Amino acid sequence: MPVWLREHRWRQTASAVYLSLPVRGLRVTPANIFCTDRYLKVSIPPFLFEAILYAPIDDTNSTAKIGNGIIFFTLYKKEVAMWDSLTLATANKEKLQYLRENAVLKAHEKAKEETEAKKVTKQEHKKYALEATMKLEEAERKRIEDLKEKERQKVTEELELWKKQQDAAEKQKRVQKEGQLHQEVVQLKEKKQEKINKTRIPNEGTSETRIKATKGCRGSYSMFSENLKEEQLPAPRSTATIKINFTSRVFPTALRESRVAEEEEWLRKQAEARRTISDDLAELEDLKEEEKNPDWLKDKGNKMFATGNYLAAVNAYNLAVRLNNKLPLLYLNRAACHLKLRNLHKVIEDSSKALELLTPPVPDNENARVKAYVRRGTAFCQLELYTEGLQDYEAALKIDPKNENVEKDAEKIRQLIQGTTQDS
Amino acid sequence: MAAGLDRPQVVSHAQQALNYTLFDCKWVPRSARLLCLGSTARGSGLLQLYELRGGRLALLREIEKAKPLKCGTFGATSLQQRYFATGDFGGNLNIWNLEAPEIPVYSVKGHKEIINSIDGVGGLGIGEGAPEIVTGSRDGTVKVWDPRQKDTPVANMEPVQGESKRDCWTVAFGNAYNQEERVVCAGYDNGDIKLFDLKTMSLQWETNIKNGVCSVEFDRKDVNMNKLVATSLEGKFHVFDMRTQHPTKGFASVSEKAQKSTIWQVRHLPQNRDIFMTSGGAGSLHLWKYEYPSQRSKKDSEGAEMGVAGSLSLLQNVTLSTQPISSLDWSPDKKGLCVCGAFDQTVRVLIVTKLNKV
Repeated sequence: MPVWLREHRWRQTASAVYLSLPVRGLRVTPANIFCTDRYLKVSIPPFLFEAILYAPIDDTNSTAKIGNGIIFFTLYKKEVAMWDSLTLATANKEKLQYLRENAVLKAHEKAKEETEAKKVTKQEHKKYALEATMKLEEAERKRIEDLKEKERQKVTEELELWKKQQDAAEKQKRVQKEGQLHQEVVQLKEKKQEKINKTRIPNEGTSETRIKATKGCRGSYSMFSENLKEEQLPAPRSTATIKINFTSRVFPTALRESRVAEEEEWLRKQAEARRTISDDLAELEDLKEEEKNPDWLKDKGNKMFATGNYLAAVNAYNLAVRLNNKLPLLYLNRAACHLKLRNLHKVIEDSSKALELLTPPVPDNENARVKAYVRRGTAFCQLELYTEGLQDYEAALKIDPKNENVEKDAEKIRQLIQGTTQDS
Repeated sequence: MAAGLDRPQVVSHAQQALNYTLFDCKWVPRSARLLCLGSTARGSGLLQLYELRGGRLALLREIEKAKPLKCGTFGATSLQQRYFATGDFGGNLNIWNLEAPEIPVYSVKGHKEIINSIDGVGGLGIGEGAPEIVTGSRDGTVKVWDPRQKDTPVANMEPVQGESKRDCWTVAFGNAYNQEERVVCAGYDNGDIKLFDLKTMSLQWETNIKNGVCSVEFDRKDVNMNKLVATSLEGKFHVFDMRTQHPTKGFASVSEKAQKSTIWQVRHLPQNRDIFMTSGGAGSLHLWKYEYPSQRSKKDSEGAEMGVAGSLSLLQNVTLSTQPISSLDWSPDKKGLCVCGAFDQTVRVLIVTKLNKV
């Protein structure tokens, strides 16, 4: 329960009310005072003073002076009239409550309005400042443009003048030369006799024909001056070639400094990818760099197969497979070796592995697939598993129907199968 | 601002929108006309002759050829004839008489692949010696042609048998100060720059600048070789001092990184050999001035002469387009007048002011 302050005193004039409220010993700040146009409250917990004013006041202009243990209010009346009392005599608690709330709401709204108004004025000020700077910059720019424009005009005039001079000079020259033309015709006829042996410039022919069609073109007098000059020019250089080397560059694109780092990175990764994957095989340390390269080993294996050294070829392929087991050709070639060595189960294994790796079946690996099927088929037949063999041969035929050898062998196997079924 | 306006300004004088890809543009010597060449959408080559009239370019002639044209030069013709040499996408070198362009004056299938770059020397009243044309191609060879000799080049710089080839992107003549001396400088896509001496028919110097070389040019073709500018990818360019060659270190150089994009071309001002313009992949042009050091050569620890490179200062830069400016040419007759062609299918005529005060 607040402690009500009731020791207030007031007096009034026609337009204002003066209210003094003693607040002995209490510290009062403006925050403690709350005032709207019908309601005045001073709240310094636990003390409380409130007054529901008799008539509305102008709360924006009214003032409160805090000092000396007294708050002195100067309230300006909205209507000039004498009040009967400071406050409205209302005993109704609800009405009081309602009035209080109303007052608070009104105060809120007022505050809002004030902030809005402030914002608006701020924006306007900004806009104005912006426009002013824009105008200044515009003026500056225009000044520079004008200067440039003046320069441009001056220069254009000079250029026109120069052009006229050029044209005049050319016309003069032309007239002069045409005069000389007639004089030199005779001279030239004599000179021509001498110069029959010398090499001619190919365009001399055309300039001669143009003499007939004189139209003041530039070339009409050129023949004469050319012939004279020709004697002074050295002969064409003797042909020679200079061989050059370029700074090596792996990429076909132009060299750019900013890309060098990326390119180095790419090359390093490529080199690593070709190297051995498994470093823990002790034997591999003994091998030279090239012997670690599966492609090189495959080539070696092929050569040995060609010379008939099948065991050595198999060794080469084995090592290559250890290094890189994803190359189908290694298995394919090893299958061929095993076939020659009659290790038929191994043939089947290797051809199967090769076929596995040769997925997806595309035209590019047709040849390889045909070979794989044929080798496996042969192995099956030699193991007397003729039906499986025939299956493989037929698969080979499906890929390459034009292969006669495969066709013949397939026929033979069919005969064999029919022969055996007939027998049994 | 006042200090800024004392520098040379690049003023845009005229421009023309084209309906084909422009690869090269060149001024016709002793005139206010320029030639644009390139490739049309239908895969044929196009040569257009424009004249500068007022603030506009007026089309005078249009010549269509079978293969797209990549590069061209007036360098090897006399001032009276003004024949134009072009290299095209099929590796053919042709010299055209612009008055009668149906049949070339000289034609040879010089290379197996596109001719990327061409240069001519000995013509236009500049320098002495026989007029020659050099072409550099994607097939890795650099060939020097004499218009008086049909079918075979007078010099052929090709890779050793078995060597994988690198694209040659740019060639330039230099050191043609008398009848015998001449060098050819070639830049390749792997960053190699090679200098060939045509008098001794040997490789005089080579180096690698770590980025593909887009353009090389000597500051003057017809003097004792003085400076060589090589531009490359990644926005870098190098200026080599060519007066002093050290036996192992070669030529001294200073390099500059102007912009993040490729520097497509470098061209020296014909009237002042220390000023040059570089054009970039972001559509910008930079105007540079080279300052010589107080001593151009010094002795190293063994007593051999070594060159000293100078310094570069940027005079002006301007961005004209969003696409690379692939070709640039100064007018040899009017100081400051230049034409540039960009991949946004526009050819622009520019005037650079205040070059007298630089």
